[in-house]
Amino acid sequence: MKEKLEQIKKSSEELLKNAGSLKELEELKVKFLGKKGELTSILKMMGGLSPEERPKMGQLANEVRSKIEEDFQNAFKDIKEKELELKLKAEKLDVTIKGTPVAKGHLHPLSQTLENLENIFIGLGFTVVEGPEVETDHYNFEALNVPKDHPARDMQDTFYLGENLLLRTQTSAAQIRTMETLKPPIRIICPGRVYRSDDVDATHSPVFHQVEGLVVDKGITMCDLKGTLEIMVHEIYGNDTKVKFRPSFFPFTEPSVEVDVSCPECGGKGCRVCKGSGWIEILGAGMVHPRVLKGCGIDPDVYSGFAFGIGLDRLTTTRHKISDIRLLFENDDRFLKQF
Amino acid sequence: MKTSFNWLKQYVDIDISPKELCDKMVMAGFEVEEITDLSETMKNVVAGKIVDIKKHEDSDHLQICMLDIGKEENLQIVTGADNIFVGATVPVALDNSLLPTGVKIKKGKLRGVDSFGMMCSGEELLLKESDYKGAEVHGILILDSSVAAGTDMREILNLFDYIIDFKITANRPDCSSIIGIAREAAAVLNKPFKAPKIDFKEVGDNIKNYLTVENQNYDICPRYMGKVVKNIRIKESPEWLKTVLKASGMRPINNIVDITNFVMLETGQPMHAFDLRELEDNKIIVRNAKKGEKIVLLDEKEVELKENMLVIADGVKPSCLAGVMGGMGSGIKPDTKEVFFECAKFKRDSIRKTAKAVGVRTESSARYEKGTDICNVEYALKRALHLICSLDAGDVVCGAYDLNKGFVTERKLDTSVSKINALLGLNIPGKKQEEILNSLLIKTTLKGDTLHCIIPSFRDDIEFTADIAEEVIRLYGCDHIEGTVLKGEQQQGKRLPKIEKRRALKLHLAGIGLNEIYTYSFIPKKEAEKLGLSNKNLIEILNPLGEEFSVMRTQLVSSMLNVLSTNMNKGNENCAFFELSKRFIAKEIPLKEQPQELTTLCIGAFGETDFYKIKGYVESVFEFLGVNPECVACSNIPYLHPGRTAEFTLNGERVAILGEVHPKTMESFSINKRTFIAEIYLENLEALNKKLVIFKPLPKFPAVNRDLALICSEDLNIGDMEKAIKKGAGKLLENLKLFDVYKGNQIEKGKKSVAFGLTLRSHEDTLTDEQIEQAINKALKELEKIGAVLRS
Repeated sequence: MKEKLEQIKKSSEELLKNAGSLKELEELKVKFLGKKGELTSILKMMGGLSPEERPKMGQLANEVRSKIEEDFQNAFKDIKEKELELKLKAEKLDVTIKGTPVAKGHLHPLSQTLENLENIFIGLGFTVVEGPEVETDHYNFEALNVPKDHPARDMQDTFYLGENLLLRTQTSAAQIRTMETLKPPIRIICPGRVYRSDDVDATHSPVFHQVEGLVVDKGITMCDLKGTLEIMVHEIYGNDTKVKFRPSFFPFTEPSVEVDVSCPECGGKGCRVCKGSGWIEILGAGMVHPRVLKGCGIDPDVYSGFAFGIGLDRLTTTRHKISDIRLLFENDDRFLKQF
Repeated sequence: MKTSFNWLKQYVDIDISPKELCDKMVMAGFEVEEITDLSETMKNVVAGKIVDIKKHEDSDHLQICMLDIGKEENLQIVTGADNIFVGATVPVALDNSLLPTGVKIKKGKLRGVDSFGMMCSGEELLLKESDYKGAEVHGILILDSSVAAGTDMREILNLFDYIIDFKITANRPDCSSIIGIAREAAAVLNKPFKAPKIDFKEVGDNIKNYLTVENQNYDICPRYMGKVVKNIRIKESPEWLKTVLKASGMRPINNIVDITNFVMLETGQPMHAFDLRELEDNKIIVRNAKKGEKIVLLDEKEVELKENMLVIADGVKPSCLAGVMGGMGSGIKPDTKEVFFECAKFKRDSIRKTAKAVGVRTESSARYEKGTDICNVEYALKRALHLICSLDAGDVVCGAYDLNKGFVTERKLDTSVSKINALLGLNIPGKKQEEILNSLLIKTTLKGDTLHCIIPSFRDDIEFTADIAEEVIRLYGCDHIEGTVLKGEQQQGKRLPKIEKRRALKLHLAGIGLNEIYTYSFIPKKEAEKLGLSNKNLIEILNPLGEEFSVMRTQLVSSMLNVLSTNMNKGNENCAFFELSKRFIAKEIPLKEQPQELTTLCIGAFGETDFYKIKGYVESVFEFLGVNPECVACSNIPYLHPGRTAEFTLNGERVAILGEVHPKTMESFSINKRTFIAEIYLENLEALNKKLVIFKPLPKFPAVNRDLALICSEDLNIGDMEKAIKKGAGKLLENLKLFDVYKGNQIEKGKKSVAFGLTLRSHEDTLTDEQIEQAINKALKELEKIGAVLRS
């Protein structure tokens, strides 16, 4: 019997070594440890042993049994690991293949630039408002200190729809509407579409977009104007960008300035983009004209304010180095998908 | 304002380069459009005196000349010109020279003989007769014999100069003159401004012996002045005067005309000289034109006058279109003996309208349109008379006409140092402010904090403290302004709700795969017709850039179709776009009040898409907005396929249409692939506020799925069947899904088989078979009512 147990142990060790699959193992397990298995049938023979031999054999049989059981356990573990390894190997993917495309649309670059601008000014406590595109002569000109005979009307060639109705030439018209309805302190920006009768070419379009800004409060200064624009410019062009004021003229601001920024292309050294000057003009601004304030019922002796008008299209084209403004309105899918 | 640097130097001592001056002027508010160095246009061209001429042995027409060019050795040049002679002084382009035409001259050989340059004609130097006498004569230009050999031709032609083109802003019409620019330059450089002389001598006699002047419209002509000059001696102007005119882009004519032009350039005040012989009845009447009157202008154009146009007439006819242009024949002729010099102020809008109406714009009208200074009228007239005397061009008759109803010569304005500093945010000392203002000829005295300013008549633009602040800062230097953070009450930044909603919608649309487009708001008038829409009630632009941009759009569809068509033609394969913009709807035509501007969303696509995909986009917009409009078939949209058009309504109002583009419309927009389009009228939807979501408990009880296979007429709408099922199954119906529509062999002709999957669930209990059966039966009953039965 002892030999038999030893033999079983040996043969199980032998067979286990050669077992290649989980299925084979299961079969072997039944063969040795099953109810009708070899070990069980031997143990059944225990009854025929002498009482002296019985405990010895019993111990031996138990030892063999636990050994075999342990072997099986290990074998199962090994083979599972091997099989998992094989499975993982077989499941290898070429991870360099591109992912499945997801439907993704693109906001127009003008919308994206506007979004940036709006967020900057919202962060500074500005409210984004809007006004009508078909304006009256009053809001577009008269209230902005451009009376009928003013030569400044020549600065902006206007599309007329009727005697006193026109397509607004500037979002500044919204300044008046805001000041008529809100009391200071006022901090608004008004983005929108504006129209001037310019023939279409690489840098001109009869339809373009502006973002008008207006602040009215007690003690607003020209230094505040510069500080506010600097924040905007640093967000858009980077913190190293410098801002320069150059005296200019707009009927609705006094003093008025053109605002230049150090050329984003060359950093101010001079290049093709800035025509060698190191600066590019990005917007016009100034302190709200006292007559404009007065016209809206705001006392210029108590309040002061500043206003600015950013050309969204130009800001977008310079930022993204878009060579021709017409691309913005052509809407070629290959253009739109780049943004 | 084209300004000669040399000329400018006569009014102010400029000790810096033109470039440096420009930089300073720019920072004082005078943008420089261009600086032209005239000497760069011509190089290595000198005067040469011909000392010898020999025939070329190998040529019939060539000659070999030896020229003295002021050097030790004479220069040999071979020429084919035949108007040259020994002793003639001519322009010589030396080896490596540049002519104004851009041509470069190098030495060479002509028929074996060395030629070290070229003798030039007037034409080769781009000269006209008025630039140099004899310049338009055929052949080599023969220079004045007094010119020394070797003289640089640029010196002879006054080309050692810079022309600076200053951009003059609309508030500074006074700077459309050399005096205006000089005053600014003097302030910028802190140098005195040297005013030109205006003294003149009179010879007795009296203007009243020559003519009478009457002003019938002081409103448009607040000041009309005139003087008579007799014994006119018409001559060519002296070189310095001609040079100034040429540098400013004007052609010298004769001394009298040149003086009026010179004074205009110098003072900014236009003038006109009348030949007294041409004034019928010896009268000048400033009046409005009469109905039907005509005038032939100096440029030979006949103009029919309107009653709102101001003319300078004689006793019979209009002689001059006031401030714009003189009439033919009223001007100076070679034999003119007596002249009436007019110098007047006309109102800017009147001149502007007249010039625009007759389509004539002159140096004179341009200045009047911008605005002229009423005091300058007298100054300019005196300046002209000074020149008459100093050029000995005639004798000034005593007496003058000066018709005006009084005017303001200077204005007082009191402001304060602290107010100016408060606006600027700076702390500029009062003394400094006073000094700056005085340098600009604004006579200012500082008393304590107060600045007492006297505004000269040429600074009409200065009215308020803010204007004074601008003068101070532009000369003090804008670079002193340093950014500060906004102070004052903090406010919450935000977008107005409907702006925010539109922005979020755009992000949503991009998120589901649509690319955003921007198109013009005005479109061709014929576009409505192309869509089969009425072209009545369109808002027309009164002065459009062309037919292409002639009406405000009442729909976004045609712009979208054009963009889709363009993309198709460019070979782009799958395009799905949206545009969120405005439609303009007039209440009445012609437009009396502002039209409605209706925010509208347009979606368009072609390529890998179909009707249902577009419908999915539209439904996602509704879901985004939190609305659930009703969808019905629609067949009366002229540009959409009658069998493939859906209309969405909410509370009986149309909120969207969508469909496949009608083949005829496709053709008129050059579209050759099936294209789908939707228009969503957001104006009606934006007001709706999406309700805050209230959490529904997750289901505790199991759901039951049942499929229904139905048979019905092929015309029955799925939408109606769904409505029936929902009505029948009631609250228990959690989800309804269409999973098959079949027409074909196994089905009776004219019928279709439709299969739905129903999910039923109760939130109170596990459904019993009875409950399920009841719900299904009710649904089937409702279906039966509309003609759909279970497929057996």
